[in-house]
Amino acid sequence: MSAAPRRNLAGALILGIPILWILVFMLLPYGIIVTYSFWIKKYPSFMPAFQLGNYVTLFTDPQYLQVMARTLKISTLVSLCSFALAYPFAYYLVFRCRSQALRTWLYMAVIAPLWVSYLLRAYVWKTILGTEGILNSFLISTGIIAEPSPVFLYNQFAMVVTLTYIFIPFMVMPIYTALEKIPRNLSEASADLGMGPWRTFLHVTLPLSMPGVAAGFTLTFCLSFGDFVAPFLVGGPDGNLVANVIATQFGAALNWPLGSALAIVMLIIVLSIVSLSDRLESRGNGGEF
Amino acid sequence: MKTQYLVTACALSALAGPVLAEGSVSVLTWEGYADPSFISTFEEQSGCSVSATYVGSNDDFAPKLMAGGGIYDLITPSIDTTKLMIDLGFVEPLDTAAITGWDGIYPKFLGQDGIQKDGAYYGMPYSWGAIAFMYRDDAFTTPPTSIADLWREDLKGKISLWDDKSAIYVAARKNGDMNIYDLSDEQIAKAQEALLEQKPLVRKYWATAGELVDLYKAGEVVISNTWAGYQSSLLAAEGVKVTEFIPTEGAEGWMDSWMVVKDTPNKECAYKFLNMQLSELGQCGVANVNGYSAANAAAAKSCMTSEQFAALHQDDPDYLDSLLIWAPLADRFETYTNAWNAVKAQ
Amino acid sequence: MAAIIELENLSKHYSSTIIGVDDVSLSVEDGEFVTLLGPSGCGKSTLLRMIGGFEAPTHGRIRLAERDVTWDPPYKRAVNMVFQDYALFPHMTVGENIAYGLKMMGMGRAEQRTAALEALTLVGLADRFDQRPNQLSGGQRQRVALARAIVRRPKVLLLDEPLSALDARLREQMQIELKHLHDKVGITFIMVTHDQTEALVMSDRVVVMEQGRIAQEGKPQDLYDHPVSPYVANFIGTTNFVPATVADATEAAATIETAAGSLQVLLDRPVAKGAEMTLGFRPEKTRALAEGEAAENALSGHVAEVIYYGLGVRVSVEIADGTRLYVDSLLADALARSTVPQVGTKMRVAVEPHNIFLFDGRVAP
Repeated sequence: MSAAPRRNLAGALILGIPILWILVFMLLPYGIIVTYSFWIKKYPSFMPAFQLGNYVTLFTDPQYLQVMARTLKISTLVSLCSFALAYPFAYYLVFRCRSQALRTWLYMAVIAPLWVSYLLRAYVWKTILGTEGILNSFLISTGIIAEPSPVFLYNQFAMVVTLTYIFIPFMVMPIYTALEKIPRNLSEASADLGMGPWRTFLHVTLPLSMPGVAAGFTLTFCLSFGDFVAPFLVGGPDGNLVANVIATQFGAALNWPLGSALAIVMLIIVLSIVSLSDRLESRGNGGEF
Repeated sequence: MKTQYLVTACALSALAGPVLAEGSVSVLTWEGYADPSFISTFEEQSGCSVSATYVGSNDDFAPKLMAGGGIYDLITPSIDTTKLMIDLGFVEPLDTAAITGWDGIYPKFLGQDGIQKDGAYYGMPYSWGAIAFMYRDDAFTTPPTSIADLWREDLKGKISLWDDKSAIYVAARKNGDMNIYDLSDEQIAKAQEALLEQKPLVRKYWATAGELVDLYKAGEVVISNTWAGYQSSLLAAEGVKVTEFIPTEGAEGWMDSWMVVKDTPNKECAYKFLNMQLSELGQCGVANVNGYSAANAAAAKSCMTSEQFAALHQDDPDYLDSLLIWAPLADRFETYTNAWNAVKAQ
Repeated sequence: MAAIIELENLSKHYSSTIIGVDDVSLSVEDGEFVTLLGPSGCGKSTLLRMIGGFEAPTHGRIRLAERDVTWDPPYKRAVNMVFQDYALFPHMTVGENIAYGLKMMGMGRAEQRTAALEALTLVGLADRFDQRPNQLSGGQRQRVALARAIVRRPKVLLLDEPLSALDARLREQMQIELKHLHDKVGITFIMVTHDQTEALVMSDRVVVMEQGRIAQEGKPQDLYDHPVSPYVANFIGTTNFVPATVADATEAAATIETAAGSLQVLLDRPVAKGAEMTLGFRPEKTRALAEGEAAENALSGHVAEVIYYGLGVRVSVEIADGTRLYVDSLLADALARSTVPQVGTKMRVAVEPHNIFLFDGRVAP
């Protein structure tokens, strides 16, 4: 008699706490942000209203479109660079690296930086890319350039390099997992059926690793899309990203409504990318031919 | 029951900050303004314990007070932000009679609109300085003298500017518009244009004092604006030789005031704290730690050496008068920040 | 018939001590069904994978239809493999899986489709053309794998333990189907298995492997009747092994002493008097003697255990030195002659001389 209600209580707690958590720390804040996004800026702060002016501003004032376009560009570049580096690396680890010890070691070498503070890792690139940095001293000592070059730091290149470095584990991990899940005999079967290594890769390995690639793209893209530290540390005058603008709107400009509207637009972009990649992933078993 | 217990425990641990002595005061301020070098003396003498939270910019005050109101007793916004605090209703009028030394404050500061409303004072002037300009000695044979030097093609990639709406003030002065706190839309548009023209020359817009110091140290930048007295002394300590200068177009001046957060429960300690800060202890404290000038000339005179007194321009009313002291922008604020943001966005 | 596959002194040494395949020479006739049989680790799969091109030999040559293919990669060999767990491409439909191997054969799409459908029809799955492998049962996947391999009309079809993933009933059915398929398509099959029944049922020829070498090869019946070693005797069918000593020997026959009595055996080679031997015989090639029944070649012992299994009965007889021998009889037989024994009673077992294998030394496993 008493066991059943107790079990119900336990069940309610197990389900209830996470639901409460999501409600209080995720849905409620979203609700608040959505609400703010309809408010209106008025000195000294802002006041409740229901109007779409903030959204109109975002899509008519070129400064916001510019920043959004730049953010899309940077995060796309970061995803592409991460992919270009991570895929061959993961491929090597899974299919070519014969020593289990070496494989584990290399894998950990890529993942380990995640344990180091994000800020520190971004900061380190300043000392590498700077005018008096490690890269310049190297290039000068090898005679490739005669004068230290300022072109490596405080620009979009530096941001892409830094963000790629920081987020590449999020590309390596899902691709590695996806490649590892591909049964080895599938490439043998492909070779057996007359396909050379390159065609085997295109027809079998690549399509079967697409879920990992999609996950990697989603992660690196969304992470760099929301980044505001790299622009601050290694970006130049033309390095402002959406997250920096949001921070400015909530801080210096004291325009929470506009900042909220921008946050919502960003959220929608990120969510559509996630759901797009979701669809790609579930279609990951969708064939070519 | 269990949940409730948990919530209580969480709440308790969140509150368990400083030990409550006889009293306490919590300040939201700039680094150095509650430096242990003089605050510990105050704590011993007054029995009030001080806990400090630091801001990185004047823009931090409003969001912090909006988000977590009731935590802070005292704040120190600069003169361009004090008015906003008053208009937002975050601060309460001061009982100037309860502050000894009030009469020692430079009249120029007591005359600022930004710290008063309806005949009552809301801010107690504390320290001041100039937004001067600064260059690296080894980069110039002829020292720069003008704001226009920050637009020089040959310094491309070696220029830095404070990431702040004050960039508009700088650009406006370069354009010859000296009414920098009262610019028309056209003047602001012109300033914005000038800043866009300068943008390709800029290495990096600096956001924090430490960042500017790093930029000079790493050899990335040779000329910029600066918080006079502060970054240059940090750089001197690092062995980087820089010189501050007031350009022919003039410099902005800033002044920070202590303000009492509305309905603080720690009023007694708060006033003890205000009195201390305006006394020799606080005035020379901030001068020694940050290298800023003191607002209470009388106190400064009695605790500073004559060299320091002179170096901080405490004896130079003309210098103070030459500064374009920051003024509240009120409803023009948005236009200024928007213009600056548009420059950064491009 | 010409040899389609010729293996010449083929070896795969992973290191000086780890040897996968050791000096194997084998010739497979066109159209033959050859099975490589042996326990795991005997080198049979490695041998198959070398023929397929998935592993390179360390010595020797492989000739396919008189061409040296030793160093050709898999995609340049006219052989195809049915993998142990089928290795179907999960991201393609059944039809796409089968047509995959036709892409590089210069066929148009329509042609590919027709050929794929034809192959699928051959294995009875034409209606599954557009399904995904994960929608099929194990047996169906097996057939798709077969269709995918034979659609390319390879000179040789390699099958790596093709039935091991199926349950017993399906396995039996597929054994017959595979054999029929072999007859129908006329392609040479080389299959690897550790299941002697599979080998005996399906193959024209069985190659028993032991530690990377060929222990014996021949028609299933020959291997069963004339195993050259205890290893082969034990691996194919069940064999009783009894330690023995030669008491007397002529050119053609010998008298052998065992702990359970003396036996006459036929000789195919000379043996020395007093030599230590092991003899072996099949449980089903024995006869339990009724009480008082006379027999020339009989062993005696005690009944240790009686196991009934459907058609017959297996009696475990313990002889004087503790060795246990199995004696199988059909149940009807045993009942008729009232030889169904009781545990603990004495029992005599007759073995015809020509049913006894004689191995040198005390080599019983």
